[in-house]
Order: sequence, then C-alpha cells, then structure tokens
Amino acid sequence: GRGGMKGGSKVVVEPHRHEGIFVARGKEDALVTLNSTPGVAVYGEKRISVEVPPVPGSESSTPTKVEYRVWNPFRSKLAAAVLGGMDNIWIAPGMKVLYLGAAAGTTVSHVSDIVGPKGAVYAVEFSHRPGRDLLGVAKLRTNIIPIVEDARHPLKYRMLIGMVDVVFADIAQPDQARIVALNSHYFLKNGGHAVVAIKASCIDSTAAPEAVFRREVSKLQSEQFKPLEQLTLEPYERDHAVVIGEYRPSKKKKSKD
Amino acid sequence: MADSKTLFTLLECAAGYALFEVVAFEEIGSLLEDNVVTDLKRFGRAVKLKGFQPFESAHEALENANAISEHAMTGTLHNFLELNLPKVSKKKGKTSNFSLGLIDPGLATAVSEGLGISCRSDDTIREISRGCRLHLESFIKGLTGGAAEKAQLGLGHSYSRSKVKFNPHRSDNMII
Repeated sequence: GRGGMKGGSKVVVEPHRHEGIFVARGKEDALVTLNSTPGVAVYGEKRISVEVPPVPGSESSTPTKVEYRVWNPFRSKLAAAVLGGMDNIWIAPGMKVLYLGAAAGTTVSHVSDIVGPKGAVYAVEFSHRPGRDLLGVAKLRTNIIPIVEDARHPLKYRMLIGMVDVVFADIAQPDQARIVALNSHYFLKNGGHAVVAIKASCIDSTAAPEAVFRREVSKLQSEQFKPLEQLTLEPYERDHAVVIGEYRPSKKKKSKD
Repeated sequence: MADSKTLFTLLECAAGYALFEVVAFEEIGSLLEDNVVTDLKRFGRAVKLKGFQPFESAHEALENANAISEHAMTGTLHNFLELNLPKVSKKKGKTSNFSLGLIDPGLATAVSEGLGISCRSDDTIREISRGCRLHLESFIKGLTGGAAEKAQLGLGHSYSRSKVKFNPHRSDNMII
C-alpha cells in the first residue's frame, strides 16, 4: 500500500558518519545498509531503491538502481547504538567480525552488508531453530560463515575461524563477559575491539542497571580490554547498554611512532 | 627441562592441518610479553611451517571438524603427525625429545595416548596459535586470495547443517 519508505525519486541516500552505513532521507529519515542481494529482504524489512546517475566516463549511460535495506533500531541493538551516537562501532567495510549470538541472522545480515565482499562475519548461534534461519540467510550472503555451536566452547569451532578485527556479542547470558574474553583470547587480533550489548536484567535482575554495566566493564578490563565507550540504548531499549573495549592495546605506540 | 626440547605446534584450520616448529625459543618467551605475534618478520623468524596437509574433500574436512570439536584424533591427523614429527623411539622409558603443542587440552590427551609423544597445552601454545592463525596465509601460499575463507565458508555450512539435522534434544522441533 501507500506510505512507508517506498523509495522513488523523493528519497535521497547519504553516507552515514560510520563507513558502510547510510541514511535515507525522505518523509522520515531511516538508517539503511546497502543490500548485497538486491530484490531480497531477509526478515521482511523495507527496501529502498534509488537511482544513481551513471559514473562519468563509464560505458553505460543509463542510471543504475541501487537498493538499500532499512535497519530498524527497535529490532537491532547495533542499529540503536549507531543512532544513539556511538563514536565508533569498529565494524566497517573489509572487517572480519566474530558475531556471538547471531540468532536468526537479522542484525547479522546488516553487518554482512556493512563489511561487504572483502569482509566476513563468523556468525555463532547455538539454538537450532534460529540456527536454521541463519543458515538460510548465509546461503544468499557468502560473506557470512554460519556456525551452529556453543559460544561457551570456542575451541569446538576453531577450525572454522580466522583471526578477527571485532568480536560482537549479544548473547544475554550472565557470564557474557567471560564468553567474550574466552573467544577473544583465541580469535581477536591485538588492538581489535569487542562490542558488547548488555541487557542488565539478564546479568543481574536485582542490581541497578548502571551497577551491572559497571561490573561488566570491569570484568572486560580484567581480561586485557581497555574500555573505550559505553552507551545506553534509550529510547530503543530499556536498561540496555553497549560497551566497547580495545583488546591488548599496543603499549609501544607512543614511544615508537 | 621441558622447555629446552624442540617444540611443535599444531594448527587445525578449515583447509587442513598445519604443523609449525618453534625455532627460536627466547623469541617466543618475549612474544608473550610484547606481542611479537603481530609482527610477521619477528614471528616468522621464531616459528617455521613444518608441514601442511590439505583436506582432499569436503567430506574429509567435515569428518575432521566434527572429531576436533569432540577432542578426538582422526586417521588423517594421526598420519599427518606421524609423517611430519621426528620419529619416536619405541624403547620403554624413553621419552620423545620434542613436545607437541595443542591448543585443546582434550586433544592433547588423545594425541599423547595415540602416538606416545609428549603433548602440552598452555598459555604459550595459545599465544603461538594466535600468531599462526594470524599469519596463516603468509605461511601457506595456497591459502591466499580468499581461499582460506572459502574453505571456512564451505565447512561452516556443512558443519552447521549437520548440527541442525542431528539433534538429540528434539525440544525445539515441536509440532504443535
């Protein structure tokens, strides 16, 4: 029907401050990613198609169509963190991302759009039902390596993984920080980053959310992470935060350069 | 002292098995302190590729990935290690003059029992493995240009598909 982001000539898509992410400006603004599989929606999300004028000097003179997918911050904590003004999410074109808690692959599909053909998303999900959906998403997107396995036991999937630039975690488990650290010790590059979504009530439902976030940050600190940023996800999620830490930051940087 | 022995390290990856030899032990000691593993020049001086055994088929890769995830040694791994590690004397009471580092303590037990060699699994091995994993494409020329990722992609799909299919806890397959 009518309404929504139907695209057409009224919508203009601009690059977001974060490389690989875009903003569609129409009647309402929307966060979007460049659809790597034009014509296909992953989870029923809206798609916006815009015409791009031909590049001067190229062979074809007709404008080409480019399709974007709308990224809903109410459905994705990473999108909420971007709209909330995170300074750097470290997920960018060409990056290798270990994604813990991939679920059915909805946010994973956007991360796959962002990192692009030169990047990779190692998507770990333990539950079989969402795991099946994840396999379906990965079939069409060849930069997603699906891993149906327990993130608590990273050695079980060590054969499927290379070293990564970013560990993203959205696993809503009380021992989440430990799981992130365990995976990072095996697979995260020195100077790489962990981006962790924390749902306070999943860690400790009796403590104040701020206290829970603080405790999670100090847990990461004790595992060789240097905390860089912390952001609560209001108004998209209540009592959630995203924290970012740098893994084994280089100590020599100042003296050498 | 155990540390004066020759040390090997096994890296299991989607394309096959790789065996590395630590040639400069002092270098590895400092590696833990000041992150030598990221520096390919220094890491390449300390660790050399001893052998690489690519999997011949997707089926063989899956079979090995399943075994590795259950801390088990396959025939492929057994043969690869026997072929590439120094020969062990069968005499009683004589221990091998080298040790094999494995990232997984469970697999270390299985290999040590199966081959009668001394295996170790500790933080040093984990650090060496980080370096080997990081620089794998520089050590094994056949894995450049996205070949390593292609192997991971294929194996990721077949491994995960088999997990979803073989599900002893049928709780999430309920038919309402």
